Amino acid sequence: MAALREDLIHLIADEALIDPAKLTPKATLADVGLDSVGVISVVFAVEEKYGVEVPEDALRDVTDLDGFLTIIEGLIEARAAA
Amino acid sequence: MALAGRRIVVTGLGAVSPLGLDVAANVAAAREGCGAIRVQSFDLRPDGPDVCDFPAALVEGDVLGPLETALGRRIGASLDPFALFAVAATREALAQAQLIGHPALETRAALILGHGFAGIHTLEANYARLFARKLPKTHPLTIPKAMVSAPVSAAAMMFGLHGPVFAVSSACASSGHAIAQGAAMVQAGLVEIALVGGSEAIATPGSLRAWDGLQAMSPTACRPFSAGRDGMAIGEGGAVLVLESLDHALARGATILAEYGGAGLTSDAFHWTQPSLEGPSSAMRAALDAADLDPEAPLLISAHGTGTPLNDKNEAAAIRTVLGDAVARTPVIATKSAHGHLIGAAAALQTVIALDALGAGLAPPILGYLAPDPECDLDLVLGEARPVAARALLVNAFAFGGLNACLVFKRWE
Repeated sequence: MAALREDLIHLIADEALIDPAKLTPKATLADVGLDSVGVISVVFAVEEKYGVEVPEDALRDVTDLDGFLTIIEGLIEARAAA
Repeated sequence: MALAGRRIVVTGLGAVSPLGLDVAANVAAAREGCGAIRVQSFDLRPDGPDVCDFPAALVEGDVLGPLETALGRRIGASLDPFALFAVAATREALAQAQLIGHPALETRAALILGHGFAGIHTLEANYARLFARKLPKTHPLTIPKAMVSAPVSAAAMMFGLHGPVFAVSSACASSGHAIAQGAAMVQAGLVEIALVGGSEAIATPGSLRAWDGLQAMSPTACRPFSAGRDGMAIGEGGAVLVLESLDHALARGATILAEYGGAGLTSDAFHWTQPSLEGPSSAMRAALDAADLDPEAPLLISAHGTGTPLNDKNEAAAIRTVLGDAVARTPVIATKSAHGHLIGAAAALQTVIALDALGAGLAPPILGYLAPDPECDLDLVLGEARPVAARALLVNAFAFGGLNACLVFKRWE
């Protein structure tokens, strides 16, 4: 779980061109500079790497990084359990 | 006809290629005859039919990491390899010219790069997802990464260029046209500085298969002007020159590496893949005339020299036509035998390597040579690097579709 979160943070840093030090759980997506193209780029990379599908509306109400990571982790774990 | 008006000099060079990740590594490998063309396997599976073997020269080592460190920010995910190579070469050229952060970049500099293709890696990955794996989503940056102007836009953002910035394309002559275009803008007084060159990254399985379909690829190596030559080998990378008005360079105390002499640009208007004799000959003649060289000044030629049977025979005939008796005392190099054919970046990389040869008086050898071909009777530099007394350099670039760009540079005395 902690390892997965670590991997996801690196993936966000790579895909959205963000300094990993900025990626703290309480930070909002706006704080870290994750714009709409950045979010879609991250979702795309998550789908490629983990073989999951992130539904279009899954992230609609997310505002902070912790919320974003929790939803993505949930999808990855659900697939692993299936 | 000599260039009227402003003199133009070269004050910076940058290169990333299969020979190395900077100019020094490229020059050293070329001089020492350390070629980078190897038969490599490209796997088209699972979406395509099989694995295919092609001789190719690929960039090895970490281009992105040192560049991100130097720039102090992440850039990797936003760049196709053809843009990454361009940005890395641009940075090296600007650093050598001591222009990073210089106020002249703001509005008095142009950036013009040539590419034969665009973001092939990005497009191929996108189409494999869409058509083979039938996945509906496409990456949101597919278009900005794949567009032919992506490298110049990326470099403009990174180095703060607000003046004329655009890409040009003429297949295998693209960066030759970019150099000529940038020089013309300095010449016309539109800018003081022109960052010019090109980049290419087309070594994807699908793209190489298409090149193979053209029947122009060697199964072994690139052997320019040799008997038994059997085709070209694909390379990749980027190369950039800083062209600058002489007055501007002198005023800021820049180190001058060479003087730009002129260009000859012609079109065969003849055939997709067969060259004409007249098109390349007239481009060479126009470039030499523009440079207004002393007729006795010894010349070095960096030939287009692809290693295809037809190009090399035709180019040798064109060189003989233009030079006449001087052909016997004019050394010819063909560095595609070392770094492969960089397509849109070829002319710029060959210029970078040949400018070093001109400055140092040491010409790098042609690799892969088997035996003389009577139809390619030139003073070829073979075996090992040869001391040369050249005071001027002619660089040839001839593209499929019959587009020719020849450039002349003069040794800075």
